[in-house]
Amino acid sequence: MSNDAEGIADLHWMFDMLHHIDVGLAVINQNYEVQLWNSFMENHSGISSSIAKQQSLLSLFPNLDASWLRQKLDNVFALKTPIFISWEQRPALFPFNSYRPITGVADKMYQNVAIRPLSNPDGSVKHLCLVVYDVTDVASNKISLSAANHRLVRLSQAISKK
Amino acid sequence: MSTRVLICDDSKIARKQLARTLPSGWDVELEYAENGQEALDLITSTAFDILFLDLNMPVKDGYQTLDALQSFTTPVPAVIVVSGDVQPQAIQRVKDMGAIAFQKKPASTEEIHELLVSLNLFSVGEQSSDNVPAVDQSSAAEEFTLNDCLQEISNIAMGRAASVLADMLNVFIKLPVPKVNILEVGELQMALDYSVKDDNCSAVSQGFVGSGIAFEALLIFNDSSFPDMAKLLGVKEQITRELEIELLMDVSSVLVGPFMTAIGKQINIDFSHSHPILLGQHVKIGDLINVKKATWKRTLAVEIVYEVENYQISCDLLLLFTEDSVSTLENLLSFLVEDDE
Repeated sequence: MSNDAEGIADLHWMFDMLHHIDVGLAVINQNYEVQLWNSFMENHSGISSSIAKQQSLLSLFPNLDASWLRQKLDNVFALKTPIFISWEQRPALFPFNSYRPITGVADKMYQNVAIRPLSNPDGSVKHLCLVVYDVTDVASNKISLSAANHRLVRLSQAISKK
Repeated sequence: MSTRVLICDDSKIARKQLARTLPSGWDVELEYAENGQEALDLITSTAFDILFLDLNMPVKDGYQTLDALQSFTTPVPAVIVVSGDVQPQAIQRVKDMGAIAFQKKPASTEEIHELLVSLNLFSVGEQSSDNVPAVDQSSAAEEFTLNDCLQEISNIAMGRAASVLADMLNVFIKLPVPKVNILEVGELQMALDYSVKDDNCSAVSQGFVGSGIAFEALLIFNDSSFPDMAKLLGVKEQITRELEIELLMDVSSVLVGPFMTAIGKQINIDFSHSHPILLGQHVKIGDLINVKKATWKRTLAVEIVYEVENYQISCDLLLLFTEDSVSTLENLLSFLVEDDE
């Protein structure tokens, strides 16, 4: 009995951790319907878990390129291998705002997204997990660095022409 | 009369593993060849009943060997292809070329037993009276180097990855023999220069770590590959910088992921990995890895050059292990080739 209670307590803190970790976690089934939506996803999207659940991920964000994303998700289901989306190809896959709207330099949150297959005990893959990382700081730094380099190149070209 | 069996594989480990899976007590005379040419020479001089044939080999690969066997006028052995290349096209191709069966590598004793029985090459009653093991145990004492082991597990992993990519794109991926080398900083630069020549390239890197082993998987594309890559992935839009990153990320996810899963399975490590990072786009190969700033001295490198048949696409997959990982890796791999009796 006490073992059961401990097991439930373990599950409770494990779930608490998943829910509050500062990384976006979403689990979807084969119809792209949301099964799990952690608080990062809730708070940044403004869509509560109770509303998101059982809705299609593609319909939650109407501005998202649905056919593009569907192809990615289908590939993960079919190939059973994770697929990665870099902020450099889709700067803000989900329309989230940056964490620091006042002192930060970016308005939107740059994201790296990993789509991972979740396998059942029998090896079949019926669910996917989307992991959303906030990489706004890295992205802003890299963008401003390459802008500065670009300016330097043009400057040195201008000087050498004289 | 005993059955004459020839095992042809460039990997010492693969030859040994296969020999060990043959039914015990089977009355066989076993010989080995390191590549297709050696096998053909042996078959020309004496007759064999069965040939176990690998596909990716130097000098003469499995396909060329099958091709040569087709023009033999003397009796040729029954060919069972044993390969890590599990692309459906590869399997079909070897069967069209006269192989009677295809066996996925690494094969277990049960799989080989079942296969031989189903092909009527071996029956349960057919055992020599003194019941000695099929394989001369002295061959098991062969020494294996880290390079041998790493080459063979890379070979198997490479086949799995190509099969996933081939599935997604419905193409045939040409597989080379993986190259394993210890490289000094400057040598890595030279090796890279050679593979991409003077063209510009784009590269993605992903870090892996687990059980004391750390390495980077570096995927380098020649920039001339992009138009065909777009065609292959059904992209009709103008090729922009973003689209190229998209192609890079997709192909690297699909190539590197299954490769690592297959490596991890063989050495029993569930690696942690980073998100793939765009190392550079349209840069000279020399700018990818800053040799002057490098803090490392030597790296263990596995290099695999993938090519897609009928398309102008080639990419270089490099696994670069840290120096600290080498001894751990050696230890792990030695378990892999140890006798399991």
